[in-house]
Amino acid sequence: MVPAMALDGLRVVDQTQVMAGPFCSMLLADMGAEVIKVEPVEGEHTRQERSIAPGVSMSFLAVNRNKRGMALDLKQPGGVEILKRLAASADVLVENYRPGVARRLGISYDDLKVINPRLVYCSVSGFGQTGPYASRGGFDLIAQGMSGIMSATGSEGGPPVKVGVPITDLGAGLFAVFGILCALRARRTTGLGQLVDTSLFEAGLALSAWEATEYWYTGDVPKRLGSAHRLNAPYQAFRASDGHFTVGAANQKLWGIFAGVVGLAHLTEDPRFKSPGNRLANRAELEKLVEAATVRETRAHWLAKLEAAGIPAGPIYSVAEALADPQAQARGMTQEYDFPGAGRVRTLGNPVKLSRSPARLRKPPPRLGEDNEALLGELGFSAQEIRAFRERKVIP
Amino acid sequence: MKPLQGLRVIDLTQAMAAPFCTMNLADMGADVIKVEAPGEGESMRQLGRAQKNGHSGTFMTMNRNKRSLSVDLKQPEGVEILRRLAKTADVFVQNYRPGVAERLGVGYEALRAVNPRLVYCAISGFGQTGPYAKRGGYDLIAQGMSGVMSVTGEEGGQPAKSGVPLADLSAGLFGAYGILCALEHRDRTGEGQLVDTSLLEAAMALTVWESAEYWLTGKAPKPVGSAHRLGAPYQALRASDGYFTVGAQSDRMFTAFCEAAGIALHKDERFATRAGRMQNRPALIEAIEQRTRGDTRAAWLARLEKAGVPAGPINDYAEALADPHALARGMVVDLVHPGAGDIKALGVPVKLSATPGAVERAAPLLGQHSDEILKELCYAESEVAALRAKGVIQ
Repeated sequence: MVPAMALDGLRVVDQTQVMAGPFCSMLLADMGAEVIKVEPVEGEHTRQERSIAPGVSMSFLAVNRNKRGMALDLKQPGGVEILKRLAASADVLVENYRPGVARRLGISYDDLKVINPRLVYCSVSGFGQTGPYASRGGFDLIAQGMSGIMSATGSEGGPPVKVGVPITDLGAGLFAVFGILCALRARRTTGLGQLVDTSLFEAGLALSAWEATEYWYTGDVPKRLGSAHRLNAPYQAFRASDGHFTVGAANQKLWGIFAGVVGLAHLTEDPRFKSPGNRLANRAELEKLVEAATVRETRAHWLAKLEAAGIPAGPIYSVAEALADPQAQARGMTQEYDFPGAGRVRTLGNPVKLSRSPARLRKPPPRLGEDNEALLGELGFSAQEIRAFRERKVIP
Repeated sequence: MKPLQGLRVIDLTQAMAAPFCTMNLADMGADVIKVEAPGEGESMRQLGRAQKNGHSGTFMTMNRNKRSLSVDLKQPEGVEILRRLAKTADVFVQNYRPGVAERLGVGYEALRAVNPRLVYCAISGFGQTGPYAKRGGYDLIAQGMSGVMSVTGEEGGQPAKSGVPLADLSAGLFGAYGILCALEHRDRTGEGQLVDTSLLEAAMALTVWESAEYWLTGKAPKPVGSAHRLGAPYQALRASDGYFTVGAQSDRMFTAFCEAAGIALHKDERFATRAGRMQNRPALIEAIEQRTRGDTRAAWLARLEKAGVPAGPINDYAEALADPHALARGMVVDLVHPGAGDIKALGVPVKLSATPGAVERAAPLLGQHSDEILKELCYAESEVAALRAKGVIQ
């Protein structure tokens, strides 16, 4: 028997595009929610971005698995009527328009709570629904720059770099899913839905807990440290004869063992490196001394020695190597499915393992409007009405 | 009312990932009880550079809104207290290396026997299963092994990680998501379960775009500095006094950008299409910067805001935490800590309109709530005194 899923019975209207919003609703879909992706009749534009078959691209596939698909023209009253009926049947709606757009379309929280007071309505935007920058457009890059993350990423003196993965997009998606699940718990008590409002900018700030702490408690503005840690050393990438590897020997005990493994046991008595504070203050010198030892052997040599000694350490993988790693494989981080017209497609596994009601790959991402007929039928529209919608191009 | 009011969480966590998980639950109203050993307490209480009046900043940051119960789990009476507590709890979170909780008598099976409704969350470096399960893992290690470091920084430059500990923090967030999903299941079926996630998996789950790129092209993606893998211009640009960011990769935004900048690059056939701009990115950026270097960041940001083109400064943390929008959104909160006095904390990034979360209480002193929690568990005053005398609690 197929195990139950944690979010069985939850219906989510997914009015989102690109990354943050679709990632949020995908996490709900992975856990069993019925997520209905609503797209414009021409399809979300990411369907065209590096497409692998007509109307489908890797960018789209990456964040829309396990969802049903509906295509609607929300600029026509018929489209809004369909969406409202869908919202009336749903527990959650997620949207990531610029603030103000949903209101113009007549599908804002205020519009929909009237027809479904139990609806949890989640808005993910660049800067949030209120405040001086609310109406600005925001991308991950802008939010990484404004939240401080870019000022702490990369090497001192180099050109600006951002975190290579879109961390504020994905972070906002995670905070949104957290907010939605919290609001659903509140609904058990109150019987009412509410507005859940988060943004890329706020997610970037919330992920800066360490850096804000450094700034507030020391008065120093956090700097760019390459691969190093702001408050501990040694905790960084070191050079071996054939490339870099990472080591986290951050506490006193691990430092002692690490120094022994790299043949520098005498440094543990050196006043420059004795306490965590000493090592942090003299990190550059420490790095030089450690690298003078580590460049003599290969990465594999050091990683084997460090593993045997119980020191957290690891390779710096490319994405290809990361996906092929035995631990990633053992944890099911690569999943596969067939997509009509595109053949075998791979996708990342869900990172959270539930023992009784686990996440599951149930269906490929939808083709544009794949479930229009079925959903319109479920919503009680007659065959005649559906035909009329099609004639008026409310649906494709 | 707060959304997680009435939810009791036992927090046997240290450092960052798992404390961040339970902190988010506490912000939303859960009663999070931080369990720490008598004497020194959690390792993050040790003083480093970030401290105030003898209290650790990193501990205070990750443990606000929680209560502290200090109990010695190496004594049988201590384990008994924890088991009694587990009977009353909805959620248990720990981040020991796999195997350690079992040794302490607080593994999943032991606590499930006490309370089958308990949702038990374990956050580790690599997960509870697989060949590396028993290895220790830090954010840095996970960033390196997930591929995140390989796409961060400059091509050919020194290794760079995400400046913020993204594997730690996202593992905490994925943990909170898993817990709340498991609670939905419990409320329907009455059964708790094990929620198992890790720094490695969390960081890998953030390579959505990069893994898709690899699977599509067969080539592992490289670091691109501040730029985008699929669109241009979307990166930091040079002004006369430093850099600012612009996201104008769509045709519409690129046209708006060119018009605001007074350059006709959108009419140049090399740059007229999305594909053309990607293909000719170095030439495009050179042409744009020729223009942007002629004026200050402030002038460009004002101009682009007026034109509706997404753009922004590259703030340092002094600027980011003083930004008027950050303040308007309640992202900086003032708290009073019993020992450290006035401190600042980050606010709640997700706003609920009817039952909002809040940052109300500073992190607890070690054992600050031991007595009241034992009383809630129906220990008599004489028993509490005896436990204290034996050093079982502090």
